[in-house]
Amino acid sequence: MPQHINPNTADAAAAEHARMLAALLERMASGEQAALKVLYDLSAAKLYGVAMRIVRNSEWAEDVLQDTYLQIWRNAGDYRASLAAPLTWMAVIVRSRALDFLRRRSAERLNDAEEFNDELHDGHGGEPDPSELVLAGQEARALNDCLSRLEARQREVLVLAYLRDLSHSELADQLKLPLGTVKTWIRRGLERLRGCLQSKEGGGLAL
Amino acid sequence: MTYTPELIDTLAAAYALGTLKGGARRRFEALARTRADVRGAAQRWQARLASIALLQPGLQPSEQVWKRVHNLVQAEIQLRQLAAQRERMQQPQTRADAEQTSASARLLRWWRGGAIAGVVASVMLLAVALRLNHQLQTQPVVQYVAVLSDDKSAASMLVTFDPKSRQLTLQRVSSFAEGENQSLQLWALPEGRGPQSLGVLPRDRVIKLTAAQDVKAVPLLAVSLEQKGGSPNPNAPTGPVIFKGQVIQRQL
Repeated sequence: MPQHINPNTADAAAAEHARMLAALLERMASGEQAALKVLYDLSAAKLYGVAMRIVRNSEWAEDVLQDTYLQIWRNAGDYRASLAAPLTWMAVIVRSRALDFLRRRSAERLNDAEEFNDELHDGHGGEPDPSELVLAGQEARALNDCLSRLEARQREVLVLAYLRDLSHSELADQLKLPLGTVKTWIRRGLERLRGCLQSKEGGGLAL
Repeated sequence: MTYTPELIDTLAAAYALGTLKGGARRRFEALARTRADVRGAAQRWQARLASIALLQPGLQPSEQVWKRVHNLVQAEIQLRQLAAQRERMQQPQTRADAEQTSASARLLRWWRGGAIAGVVASVMLLAVALRLNHQLQTQPVVQYVAVLSDDKSAASMLVTFDPKSRQLTLQRVSSFAEGENQSLQLWALPEGRGPQSLGVLPRDRVIKLTAAQDVKAVPLLAVSLEQKGGSPNPNAPTGPVIFKGQVIQRQL
């Protein structure tokens, strides 16, 4: 991965970006529609990428995206900078809207197995580009770094488990893998992720 | 079962990932209700894993999505206004209502009036962050940014100026599009002197121009709507000024 990112500069950029988005959310909370447009232009591609990864159909993903920005507009006043970076907050919303969408559609999704098979082989499903990573912030960069140290299959199973909120057996089913294999990959993947993240956070976890 | 810190953290990770299901999930949640350390571990993992979504590559949605969002929000605002109107008509205005109305009217005037600064202050941060993508390897620099807004204070164009390369980068952020036989022209409005043209803008969403003069000494930038090819008068806009905004210095 070609990432020669100076951590200090990157953190400063991410912090600026986060403050900017937080300021836009504040404007939206007081009813300023122009702020929504700017926020949309800044974040729609990112959130659409997430929606696509979860629902895997462009029409559905656009419905999810529309729903997501309506939620963001309505709930802008509930955003708390102390709890999460704005982009993370928005990503949580788009994931939950996408999962709701899939639950509503669950009866219709019976033919997805092949898509899942393909996906297991393409690693991350594409790497985020370095500038995207910068704006995603320090936490996302640490996670990306630790994930990239995992075996591709372990990483992929973790990412899919999280994004699509799947249980071990659902994952086994969709990936056509033995249940035991999925369980082992997840356990080992999480274990290694845990070690890696802990060392990055300076071992300063109050355990 | 003895819950060592190690075990708690492992369970918290599986809980946040979503793979802890059924009875194990319920037991973990029960434990979290009584123990702050368990809650803390779960929240820490939720925060960590939330960034998984941000690691997915971005993808441009069709332009229809914004139009739909815009229309929905617009409809929602109108409905709310209608409901508020109906309420006002049903009951005589109390003093509190009157105060509230005048406060929101003041806010509106503030926004419509010379309030570009507020938008600038927030939008500015973004422009800087965006420019930074390209500058991660370079030294910290001084950056000049402006948000050009229309007469309703809606942000229409983001401008950044890099004094080293004299490069202006303009990004259109509103849906405004000039007509077939029209052009937009960018002007510097220096203090105590007449406007200076910085160039006629192509139709691209992102525009790069090299400024002939130093933009950093200029307090205001403006965009006028001209006949195709720009203002016939080289020293002033001929058409209406449709966007304007202050230039702000930003030290990185």
